[in-house]
Order: sequence, then structure tokens, then C-alpha cells
Amino acid sequence: MSDTQQIAIGLRQREVIVLEALVERYQYRLARYLIYLLGKRDGVDDLVQETWLRVLERGSSYDGQSRFEPWLFRVARNIAVDALRKRRIFSLDSKDDDGVRPAPASDEPSPFTLAARTNDADRLARSLETLEPVYREALVLRFQEDLSLQEISAIVGAPVSTVASRIYRGLATLRPQFKGETS
Amino acid sequence: MNNDHHETFQHMIDESLAAGLSAERAQSLREHLHNCAPCREYLSANQRVIAGLGGFSFEVNPTLNARVLASLRLRAQQAQSAQLSRRRWALIGVAALGLTAGGSFVDLQLGRMIASIFDMQRIEVQQGLLAFWILPSLCVLLLFPLLPLLSKAGTPREERIQ
Repeated sequence: MSDTQQIAIGLRQREVIVLEALVERYQYRLARYLIYLLGKRDGVDDLVQETWLRVLERGSSYDGQSRFEPWLFRVARNIAVDALRKRRIFSLDSKDDDGVRPAPASDEPSPFTLAARTNDADRLARSLETLEPVYREALVLRFQEDLSLQEISAIVGAPVSTVASRIYRGLATLRPQFKGETS
Repeated sequence: MNNDHHETFQHMIDESLAAGLSAERAQSLREHLHNCAPCREYLSANQRVIAGLGGFSFEVNPTLNARVLASLRLRAQQAQSAQLSRRRWALIGVAALGLTAGGSFVDLQLGRMIASIFDMQRIEVQQGLLAFWILPSLCVLLLFPLLPLLSKAGTPREERIQ
């Protein structure tokens, strides 16, 4: 029996031990995805907790035929979108043609600045902060989570071609940081 | 080499990073990159972005795991007790149905025999069965859909998950 099938059975039977193992395995990645999606650290812990509770309640809808990560991120995304709607903070939909939004007024360093551990990450941090959430989301899912365009498309509920454009646009926005340099 | 040509290959570079290319197109891109410094630079900048994305390490609240696990255990426990409660009410309903059917069967099929054994009137046996067996179980059966609600009203509210 495959790993995903075991997860599906465990979730259907609401086995806490299976959930505990999933929390251990995916907690950091789930938090990272939500930070990329929201562009801030505040409220992420609550959304992570809410996501796992939703996994417990609706776990029977995971069929074990595909990878667990896309299903988990879709649950997290739905919860994040609902929370944003309730708080009327902002929409995930892109409104600006250049894929960039104004930098937040707060003087607090962004989660990206705080989390940068390399020089290149440090150079990207400021641009990531102002990048539209849907572009950040596409980049983290493709290049950090290593998901396919089809998997990302299922998570965000957009066509594969839209996901691909978001990745191109995201890269195009961040690329000037390294223009004229060779690795 | 004109700009359109570069754009075509730079789009191929984007595609190769996002979704991959067919063997034929990948070969064509490799050949182009061999001779084109601007496209090599374009590829290099993209690769630096992707590598740079891996250079973030977000700090996760150290108490978050414990908090999540505690809330999961509590919610799972609540769900389990709710399921047990539903099962208990279902058993009571089935028992009430069985008792009502059983009482009616005894009355119809064995009422005369019971009356002769205990030297009673048939109507007395019937009234006894109705009063002490059939009607009580019928009442439980009819009130059955309301019993879980009545039971819930009498129990303290569930603890709120933090």
C-alpha cells in the first residue's frame, strides 16, 4: 500500500496518530506557503491550526490517488481566502499589470527580510514583499514545493496557462535583482 | 541576432524552468545558449532567483506544533463522543421498535393463552400489555428523534478550542 493510500485511510478513520505524523512532516511547509500567500507572519499560526482541524474534519475527501501536498495546500488556501474575505484585508486577485503592489506602510521588517539566510535571498526579500500574492504563491509552489503546473492549477483553481504566466511574471519581477551578473 | 530571436529562446528558458521542454526543444535551446551570451545571462539570472528562493528559513512558533496537536486531539475526542452518542441513540431506537413490535405480537398471538393461564379476561391482559409494555415503548419510539436534542440540552457546553 502506498504512502498516500495509508494517509487517506488514516484520515478517513480520523486516526490522530496519522494526523500527528502529518503535522510533524508538513508543518513548516504549510506555514511557509501561508507566509508566501499572505506576505506577512501575523495570523499564520491561526490559519495553520485551522487548516489541520479542517483536515481532520474533511479528511475523507482525500482519495489517496494523488500527492497529499496539493490537497493540503488547497485546504489551507481556501481557509486563508475565507479569512481574508471576513477581515476584508485584501484580495488575492492581481489588480496591477506589473504584478507589483505598493510596499506596506509598516516599518516592521517583512517576513522575507527576517527569513533571508543568504545574500541572494536578502536581495529578493524586498521585491517579494511587493510582489502580488498570486505570483509569490506560484513561485513557492513551483520552486520550493516542486509541484507540477497541473498540481498548482488544482490548488489555485486557475488554468495551467494562467499558472505558467504567473510563474513567468514572478520570475520577471525578481530577475532584475541579478541582471548583468553571472552565477 | 535580432531581439525576436532572443525573446523566443528566453520564453523557452521560462518554459523549461516552469514546466520542462521536449527533448527536441531542449536540444535547440542548448545549442542556442552555447552561442548566445545574453540568453545565458537571462538563464543565469532566473537560476539565481530560484536558488535565492531556497535561501529563506522562516521561524515557526515553537509552541505551534503542541497547540495544533492538542486541538486536534480534543476535536477528535469530541467527534468520537458524538459518534458514540449517535450510536447509543440508534440502539435505543431499534430497541424501542423491537419492544413495540414484540408487545403487539404477544398481544395478538398469545393474549388469549395468557388470559387462560392466569384466569383473567382477555381485555385485562390486553390493557396490561398496553399500559406496561406497548405504550411505553411506543412513546420512546415516537419521541426518539427528539431524545438526542433533549439530552444535549442537559449537558454542559463543549469546551472551546483555543
